Amino acid sequence: MSKRQSLLLFLGIVAVISSIWLYALLVSPSRQTLDQRAHDVASQLKCLVCQGESVADSPSMLSLQMRGIIRQQLQSGKSEQEVIQYFVSRYGDRILLSPPMQGLALLAWIFPIALMISGALLVFFVLRSWQLHAGKEPDDADKADSANIDEQELAYYQQQIEQELAAEDPIFSQPGSEVE
Amino acid sequence: MVVAPLGASRRLPQLVASAKRSVLAVAFFLILASAALIASFLTHDFGLSYVAQHSSRAMPWYYTTSAFYGGQEGSLLYWALMLSIFSALFVFTARRAPTVLVPYTIATLMGIETFLLIVLATVSSPFVRLPVPLADGVGLNPLLMDPGMLIHPPMLLMGYMSFSVPFALAVAAMITGKLDSDWLRSIRRWMLAAWSIQTLGLVLGAWWAYHVLGWGGYWGWDPVENAALLPWLTATAFLHSAMVQERRGMLKVWNLSLVIASFALSIFGTFEVRSGIINSVHSFAYSSIGAYFLAFLCIVILSSIALFIFRLPKLRPEQEFDSVISREGSFLLNNLLLVGITFATLWGTLFPLISDAVRHQTLTVGPPFYNQVDGPIFIALILVMGIGPLLAWRRTSTRVLRRNLGIPALAAAICAAVLPLLGIRDVWANIAFAVCSFTACAILYEMWRGVRVRHRHGESYPVALYMLFERYRQRYGGYLVHLGLVMLAVGIIGSHFFQVQQDAVLKPGQEMNVAGYKLVYFGNINRTYPDVEILTAQLQVWHDGQLQQFIYPGRQLYTSFADQPTSLISITTSNLTDLYVFLADWKGVSQATIRVFVNPLVPLVWFGGIVMLLGGIICWWPPRRKRSVAPTGLEAIQVPEPVGVVSSGGGTFVSTSLDIVDLTGDNKEGAQ
Repeated sequence: MSKRQSLLLFLGIVAVISSIWLYALLVSPSRQTLDQRAHDVASQLKCLVCQGESVADSPSMLSLQMRGIIRQQLQSGKSEQEVIQYFVSRYGDRILLSPPMQGLALLAWIFPIALMISGALLVFFVLRSWQLHAGKEPDDADKADSANIDEQELAYYQQQIEQELAAEDPIFSQPGSEVE
Repeated sequence: MVVAPLGASRRLPQLVASAKRSVLAVAFFLILASAALIASFLTHDFGLSYVAQHSSRAMPWYYTTSAFYGGQEGSLLYWALMLSIFSALFVFTARRAPTVLVPYTIATLMGIETFLLIVLATVSSPFVRLPVPLADGVGLNPLLMDPGMLIHPPMLLMGYMSFSVPFALAVAAMITGKLDSDWLRSIRRWMLAAWSIQTLGLVLGAWWAYHVLGWGGYWGWDPVENAALLPWLTATAFLHSAMVQERRGMLKVWNLSLVIASFALSIFGTFEVRSGIINSVHSFAYSSIGAYFLAFLCIVILSSIALFIFRLPKLRPEQEFDSVISREGSFLLNNLLLVGITFATLWGTLFPLISDAVRHQTLTVGPPFYNQVDGPIFIALILVMGIGPLLAWRRTSTRVLRRNLGIPALAAAICAAVLPLLGIRDVWANIAFAVCSFTACAILYEMWRGVRVRHRHGESYPVALYMLFERYRQRYGGYLVHLGLVMLAVGIIGSHFFQVQQDAVLKPGQEMNVAGYKLVYFGNINRTYPDVEILTAQLQVWHDGQLQQFIYPGRQLYTSFADQPTSLISITTSNLTDLYVFLADWKGVSQATIRVFVNPLVPLVWFGGIVMLLGGIICWWPPRRKRSVAPTGLEAIQVPEPVGVVSSGGGTFVSTSLDIVDLTGDNKEGAQ
């Protein structure tokens, strides 16, 4: 298969998949039930009287009432975000189960992401400097190496490898097993 | 006992021998002490404060025994015991480790042991007697009275402690400056053991949480869970980057830091659990010895850094890097991702403290944060896991790469096309599943190629598969771990995106419908035993119009812990989907608040865990004794070395016999 053909094949597959995904997203947009939406909101809020549980998970009275309020508000047409805002305005940021994306708490989100990106850059530059440090074009070097090598020496090494492999694993002791 | 091995470094073999014996003596005395504590538990010696607080007469013998590590003091003793046993094991196997390193390793291990013993003897002794013995003990925390609890904490504590042997080896290597392949081999084995123990501990912990806590999940990103995960992540990173050092002599500094980080993180985990600085469901282990651990942690980190600076000049890489598209490159990426998860998790765990200190603002960093930050990194990690093993060392030609990637990519494409048609609408879930199918297919295809090559040489398929695992443990064991991780990931993705939850208050005769299941409530049953009252609700489960079975979710009320009713959760598995029913509340015998979760694919989490553990054990299992068929005398000792010839010096052969390296080379490379 030529490079061009395989590229076309690749693009074709990508097109098919993306059209299926678009179809899935457009034709049947998320028909979430009220229950699911209420659960989504509740699982982003912290139960204030329990140890590290969300309002969705907690069996406490307070959480039960809060789940009721969430349902009511969603039913009256509020969006998920508005309901969360309602609770934040009443209880403050401590009601949120994940840090808000503003103020000092934004740092919680940005820092790991920034560190990942700088880590990726670091790895990239380290790799590149290693590669540059290696100096020569590796392919040329290998060609030069294989040109320099003595046929007899090569045969000797190959024989030694064969022997040692045979000791390691009987399958290599069969003659001709190297050639596929 | 600490000074002896130090003295030994001054070239006195007798002193080294005496140090080794003293390690054994320490182990012996700790076994004795632990046996004494267990004996006093079993004989109900309530004159001991620790025994009185953590056991009672009514407890069955196995929980009484497990109460040994059920509290602060006992778990420390258990910890010291495990460390001494590991040290003793190290001494027994010391002839395999490089001899120069042994005294320093022992010194480090005993240094850690001394710290634990000082804490045990001064502030946290399990052998404190009460002025007046009690008639009966308080009993164990009911949350801990569960089969999962019998082995989850000891495994996890053992896992924490087992990171100390690699750490000690690293310290020894930094002191002596001897970081050669022998050192690497022995540290790798110890790290692999630690990794396997920690894997088992984590999976058991998740299993326990799932079966006991009643919130329908198995992993809550609780600070203590995070603390257990962190050293596991760095250990995983080390096991991968160690291979780069093994083959190519690079990344020495990095590997040492990973070993030290693993140990430091496990100490940090203990500190976090014990000090109670962060709220957690594990707060029952709370106590005042946190400060000691913090001090110890500082000592560990500072002395490691000092040693590091002292040794840095010796840690130059031996070989140069060739290409970004090579297995080294993929290992670096793997390390970046693992360390990224580690850091994000650590940061999230500590952030509430930071924000409290800076702004006096109480914030929670909960599951949504970790899911959004760690989730994508984890998916990227799985993708790298699929591609990495297909790349050759040094560099890979694009032709070979394309050929190898073709089938897995096709699998991912099919998955990406079919799943949305089957009704999975969530974009993230689709991406994640596609990535998992890619990687699973890549691994299976790789195994299949190995089997096929052997089959062509006259081995039947099962024999060929067995031989692959038997001969190339590290490589195929590693694949098995990867496969297990993919299974685990599929389980996590399934239960994360497609969990359905529903609550209902039911009267007898009423029913509730959840995701194709129908539950009919009949009433509550109450049973009373001397120490415990058990209340269960009776429900009928119908699925697709057929009666499946009766289930009895319930609660246990221990008389001595009346405020902590533990739950008896009913979990019914069919078609890889768990029906998880939890009795949230009840009134008399004729009303129950039932919480139902339908958790798809959760069983895969446990299967995946088992497969990972199996893979870890295969990797770790000692290589079989070499038969002496060696044509030359030297060969018998250095059999793994020819592999080094093929791969590292093999640049010469790559161009002349590319196909050999490609096909049968799969087998050759895996030999060590």
